[in-house]
Amino acid sequence: MKTLATIYKEFLLLIRDPGGLALIFIMPLALVIVMALVQDAPFRDYQEVKLDVLFVDQDADSLSAKVKQAFDSSPNVNLVVKTDTAEVKKLIQAGAFKAAIVIPANSSETLREKTKQLIIEVFSNFGLAEASKDSVDMNAIGIKILFDPAIKSNYKQTLTGGVQKIIAGIQAQWILDELQNQLSEGRADVKKTKVSLTDIIQVKEQYASEKKYQGLMLNSVQHNVPAWTMFAMFFILYPLAGNFIKEREEGSLLRLRLISGSQFPVISGKFAFYFMICLLQFVLMIAVGIYIMPLLGLSKLVLGSNIAGILLIACSVAMAATGYGVLIAVYFRTPQQALSFGSVSVVILSAIGGVWVPVYVMPEILQTISRFSPMSWGLESFNDLFLRQASIQTILPNVLRLTGFSLVTLFISVIIHKSRTIL
Amino acid sequence: MSTSAVRLDGLTKQYPKTNKAAVSNLSLQIPEGAVYGLLGPNGAGKSTTVMMLCGLMRPDAGTVNVLGMNMQEQGTEIRQKIGVASQEIALFPTLTAYENLFYFGRMYGMPGAMIRSQIDKYLHIFGLTEKSKKIVHTFSGGMKRRLNLMAALLHQPKLVILDEPTAGVDVQSRNMILDFLKDLKSEGTTIIYSSHVLEEAERICSHLGIIDEGTLITEGTRTNIMGAHPDCQNLEQLFLKLTGKNIRD
Repeated sequence: MKTLATIYKEFLLLIRDPGGLALIFIMPLALVIVMALVQDAPFRDYQEVKLDVLFVDQDADSLSAKVKQAFDSSPNVNLVVKTDTAEVKKLIQAGAFKAAIVIPANSSETLREKTKQLIIEVFSNFGLAEASKDSVDMNAIGIKILFDPAIKSNYKQTLTGGVQKIIAGIQAQWILDELQNQLSEGRADVKKTKVSLTDIIQVKEQYASEKKYQGLMLNSVQHNVPAWTMFAMFFILYPLAGNFIKEREEGSLLRLRLISGSQFPVISGKFAFYFMICLLQFVLMIAVGIYIMPLLGLSKLVLGSNIAGILLIACSVAMAATGYGVLIAVYFRTPQQALSFGSVSVVILSAIGGVWVPVYVMPEILQTISRFSPMSWGLESFNDLFLRQASIQTILPNVLRLTGFSLVTLFISVIIHKSRTIL
Repeated sequence: MSTSAVRLDGLTKQYPKTNKAAVSNLSLQIPEGAVYGLLGPNGAGKSTTVMMLCGLMRPDAGTVNVLGMNMQEQGTEIRQKIGVASQEIALFPTLTAYENLFYFGRMYGMPGAMIRSQIDKYLHIFGLTEKSKKIVHTFSGGMKRRLNLMAALLHQPKLVILDEPTAGVDVQSRNMILDFLKDLKSEGTTIIYSSHVLEEAERICSHLGIIDEGTLITEGTRTNIMGAHPDCQNLEQLFLKLTGKNIRD
């Protein structure tokens, strides 16, 4: 009954505190929406972003035509044809375009001739043909790719790799064609075979997810909604510690200290109330991910199939966040100390926990440190559940870590609170 | 008045990093039903004594017996039977008067019906019935002080400890509080009254104890103490005579 009374008292205090309500509900909702929007582009990799690339065709022959054709059919590159190399360079320097492909004059002819020479040389080594007498040394074909210095390295690598792949494909095709030419020389009865090299090996990309969730990958919404939800849940320490210390300063906590048997209900009532608030925050933020994000042009949050697992991890995160809030509230003597330390520590825990950027892009040392952040435990489990359709068994170690963290913080809080009750 | 409501024996407390005890070997007895004025200049050791009396502070030496129970052994039971109105307004400012009292009643473990009847009784006595649904931070200083006192009395304590219960209130509120304390005394409740306003102590206290520099310098019924110092016409003169005129920190 005493705990229930404390929960009701906390409820009354909160609903009469518009600032606290905004901090608990409105700010996190705004934060998760803004962060998902801001991080949407960085989260899209090359496959998702349509990159405008300048294309200068000085060759005007089959090689450049093949390159153009290959990129035209790519959903990620939009070729903008230009003729003047100097203008192209200026546009790249100005940052108007991120990259340009320049196919120099006579590239096709050079490649054709090089291929022919290569085949003749191979044939002559086997005594099947005479080495060409008019064989001349030719320079390598110098296809240029100009990059804006501000281009992301993954775009750069993908574009270079794409060009190299196309050229290699053309070269292989031409070698095969030339091979047939040489072998059929002087034989009118032999019909050339049309061979498509791309049919020989096909590389299929597939995510190791269940069929229903094929194509679902980590994107801005899938990362930001659980990540900033946890951040907001840990920020519960702000109203929790603020109210607790205010009560201590105003003296109401002193009155409660004088009432026998009131310490456990005071702590447990606060814990239970803010735990429920954390869960409410979680439900609201998830609802934003599902219903609001798509309205803003973002992906819809996909929860996966293990709802019981999601509830379990949400409860564990809520427990950890509230326990941490209680510890901060009890340990610090002034609101300034508690709120400054509390908010900075949450930002640090969130940064190393992978809230701002995923843990896998962090340096190794930070990846090691992140294993000690409760937010990392939570986020890892949300990713397991949302993207990998993990079972409860998979997330159980993190559930235990979060619950353990909560119990340890509460235990320390009770010891500190008791030590300050009887001086 | 034969038995003691409070008995302190050889109470000593020294704070860390100080070279002098805040309370030194203090012994006193407060008879049941008395209004005991615990007086002393600033820093005399009154608050430390009260803290040990409430069980909020452990003495370095000595024993605290309240209502026949030892504080070290039965602190929980003792706290259930005492009411403390501290100098601070120990209330939740954004709750209404009623909500504050109901919550404290619940924390004392009182049943709902009993809390409601006690609240109605005290709201009526202290003239706050019409303000019961108002948020406390809109109250005047006097109203808050009365509510603060009500919160200490809800559970019908046998011993009430009041620290400056009239600080910052107007004459009307002070008069109301003092009249109420007289009524409370007549019901047999023991009251420990700590104040700097000696006129008030003179008006309501049956017993006095004056502390200075951590030691009890005089104790007894008000009549006996005043009688022992015929040169003093009032309590203020007696107080200055016993504690000196030096300004304290």
